[in-house]
Amino acid sequence: MDTLRVRDARDVEDVVRAAIANEQPLEVIGHGSKRGIGHAMATNAVLDLSALNAVTAYEPNELIVTLQAGTPLADVLSLIDSKNQQFAFEPMDTAPLLGTPALGTIGGMIAAGLAGPRRIRAGGARDHLLGAHAVSGFGDSFKTGGKVVKNVTGYDLCKLLAGSWGTLSVMTEVTLKVMPKPEAERTLLLRGLDDAVANKAMTAALGSPYDVSGAAHLPKSAFRAGTEGLGDIAGQGEPLTLLRLEGITASAAHRAGSLRELLAPFGTATLVEDAASAALWGMIRDVLPFAASGALAAWPVWRIVCPPASGAALGAQLARETGGDVIYDWGGGLIWAALPPKADAHAPAVRSRANAFGGHATLIRAAEDVRGNIDVFHPQAEGIAALSERVRASFDPKSILNRGRLRRGAG
Amino acid sequence: MAIMMPASDQAVLARRAEIVAALRAIVPGEGVIDTPAEMRAYESDGLTAYRQPPMVVVLPDTTEQVSLVLKYCAAQGIKVVPRGSGTSLSGGALPLEDGVLLGLGKFKRIREIDFDNRVVVTEPGVTNLAISQAVAHAGFYYAPDPSSQIACSIGGNVAENSGGVHCLKYGMTTNNVLGCEIVLMSGEILRIGGKGCENPGYDLMGVITGSEGLLGVITEITVRILQKPETARALMVGFAEVEAAGECVARIIGAGIIPGGMEMMDKPAIHAAEAFVHAGYPLDVEALLIIELDGPGVEVDELISRVEAIANACGSTTCQISTSEAERNLFWAGRKAAFPAVGRISPDYLCMDGTIPRGALPKALARIRELSETYQLGCANVFHAGDGNLHPLILYDANKPGEIERAEAFGADILRACVEFGGVLTGEHGVGIEKRDLMPEMFSEVDLNQQQRLKCAFDAQGLLNPGKVFPTLHRCAELGRMHVHAGKLAFPDIPRF
Repeated sequence: MDTLRVRDARDVEDVVRAAIANEQPLEVIGHGSKRGIGHAMATNAVLDLSALNAVTAYEPNELIVTLQAGTPLADVLSLIDSKNQQFAFEPMDTAPLLGTPALGTIGGMIAAGLAGPRRIRAGGARDHLLGAHAVSGFGDSFKTGGKVVKNVTGYDLCKLLAGSWGTLSVMTEVTLKVMPKPEAERTLLLRGLDDAVANKAMTAALGSPYDVSGAAHLPKSAFRAGTEGLGDIAGQGEPLTLLRLEGITASAAHRAGSLRELLAPFGTATLVEDAASAALWGMIRDVLPFAASGALAAWPVWRIVCPPASGAALGAQLARETGGDVIYDWGGGLIWAALPPKADAHAPAVRSRANAFGGHATLIRAAEDVRGNIDVFHPQAEGIAALSERVRASFDPKSILNRGRLRRGAG
Repeated sequence: MAIMMPASDQAVLARRAEIVAALRAIVPGEGVIDTPAEMRAYESDGLTAYRQPPMVVVLPDTTEQVSLVLKYCAAQGIKVVPRGSGTSLSGGALPLEDGVLLGLGKFKRIREIDFDNRVVVTEPGVTNLAISQAVAHAGFYYAPDPSSQIACSIGGNVAENSGGVHCLKYGMTTNNVLGCEIVLMSGEILRIGGKGCENPGYDLMGVITGSEGLLGVITEITVRILQKPETARALMVGFAEVEAAGECVARIIGAGIIPGGMEMMDKPAIHAAEAFVHAGYPLDVEALLIIELDGPGVEVDELISRVEAIANACGSTTCQISTSEAERNLFWAGRKAAFPAVGRISPDYLCMDGTIPRGALPKALARIRELSETYQLGCANVFHAGDGNLHPLILYDANKPGEIERAEAFGADILRACVEFGGVLTGEHGVGIEKRDLMPEMFSEVDLNQQQRLKCAFDAQGLLNPGKVFPTLHRCAELGRMHVHAGKLAFPDIPRF
């Protein structure tokens, strides 16, 4: 298979145009860290963006950074960290879960759109992508959006590019919003709650004025040997409910006190501060209890998004029915489910439960043959699926880019 | 009218009586308005310089009726202009002579309040403020707060991706909407998203938000609600120079502080506002900042002192800090009344809406002053300074020959300057007809073609709100054609591995 290592946006245009002329679909990659997500692609050439790795502009006072799409995420994170800034949506590092070496590129982060715990407060990748230059499946370079936060000029195509898994256009340069890092973080820990009660505690916390920026629950079964980042906390082998408060030190401490009072009916919360708190949330963000290096390496992992107050009902039913393990984030609105190995990864159970609760499920980790058996991405209602296909074709009529990644049989 | 709208379809106009009758069959009773006197209320929106009575007004009250109206119009090749409360400042709801004006004003019900999931499911004709009022008893509110929030509808907010003073910290409409029910031009009814944080597949909700009524007609919306901050206090800081005020804004953000709101007014705006509401604004300053901090008391107190120190270091000449809700509201009263206040000192004004990088504020103000000299028209400036969103108010008198044309040319030059300084044509009011012909200042033909291809995916006949946003309309068949890139048949000279 040809791997075409493009040097600039012009190269991308040339490659896509040649691919159109030859009717030869392309697989678009940065570092390839998320290649294992989605269906096997009907492509025989790889468009490799990793050489497009320059920081075009970083303007801390404007709260923006403009980057070529192949810039390593790790480099960008350390660059903005040097100015005490961050991507507020807490992009997930999929490497531990998928068992891949690299953290990936900025383009991959946006194309996958996998936001971390702070999504409930700060939004996702789609909320932080301000502008992009991209090459469509027509072989044309176009731009959308801009370099300012407040912009309603024309359709917001950035929203479509974020989370499109590289199927609409090849992003070559992106402008993202950055935010100041909080001075302090405090996490309240409640122990011993079952899923349903924990969901209620998280709902109470998120419905409070205390500006909670993380609400997660680890059932007892989610703790196991080899879980990194938990330190002493894991040793106690009890379900753990975590609630995060961030901001200036005095405020985070004050709110932690207020929230602890509010949550008194659920038990006495203990407090974890700053670095220890950050380690806990890193573990939740990257789903370390289900890491590929751990005991559940062979288990398929689902990512289920649902109305937050329904999380426990959905997750507990699913765990019971399949014998699997679940972790709750986003106050119950995000469920990570590791289920025992099975040829269909328990897709019928997952999907019927998700549908029943108004949610949707994506199979994030599974062997290629399993992914061939079922729909990796949640099947959509007929009208939405048809509209989505028309939208896709409006960017890439010949399905040159990542053909077949999103839909089984579309290759 | 200075702007060209698509040519009227004479065949459609000739069939007006038949069309009115067909619409009456779908929406019985008073839901179809066709007399010139009654239609006058709909001939303009918030951009009052442009007026055009529609062919007929239809006010459906069910999604089914919306679907049948659109299906009928699609089959008959009749254009449709959707309208919420008609407060658009860019002419987004300007009717077409040969078009049906589809008003959503009867969709006035909040369908569900779900505190556990922190969402409200509402019909599109409900006003922005009514959503906050409906959940206020439980301490919640809906964060985006456009100045027209008493009147503007949530459906219109979604169409325009409305902002407001607080979007610096809490985001625009797009960051606060989770799902919708939308009717396509074909009449097809679709449900997108729901109460979850994220929707599956392509982010259709994201691209519908801010699409200015060109992609579909929204009949239900699910929005996120937040708990009100425990407290809010404001500083009112005066500066002898605009540059110092701009520097102060940059340093506050640079210090990692994101205020709930951060607004700037220049001298003409300060004087107009003070004369109108007597808020106690200092009259001897060149620029005034109103900075609001919200959160728990302990946080607000700490940040107020940090901001005060920054303002002092930037050479502020006056600084007042609110000590009560009444005082905080008074600080805001002048800013919130800035538009009507300017309306008192000038027979007419044009409100512009560009965004620039924060750091370009002094440069942009200097340019606006130069242009004011060139065009011999006054200009008062109010800004959402925290996010670089400018609202220059160009003063003119429509009764003086040539003044509206001069004012429009002045405004166009301001927007060109915004793009030149690295910004954009519109921050929150939308393109509509007002900035339509300036789109090529910011986007190439290729960029605009890609946007119009998306339109084709939703409305292949181009019947929904045509003449808005895009300066040149192309047929979908033409846009969908692939170019043959001759001579590029093999992969070119690209490094391979």
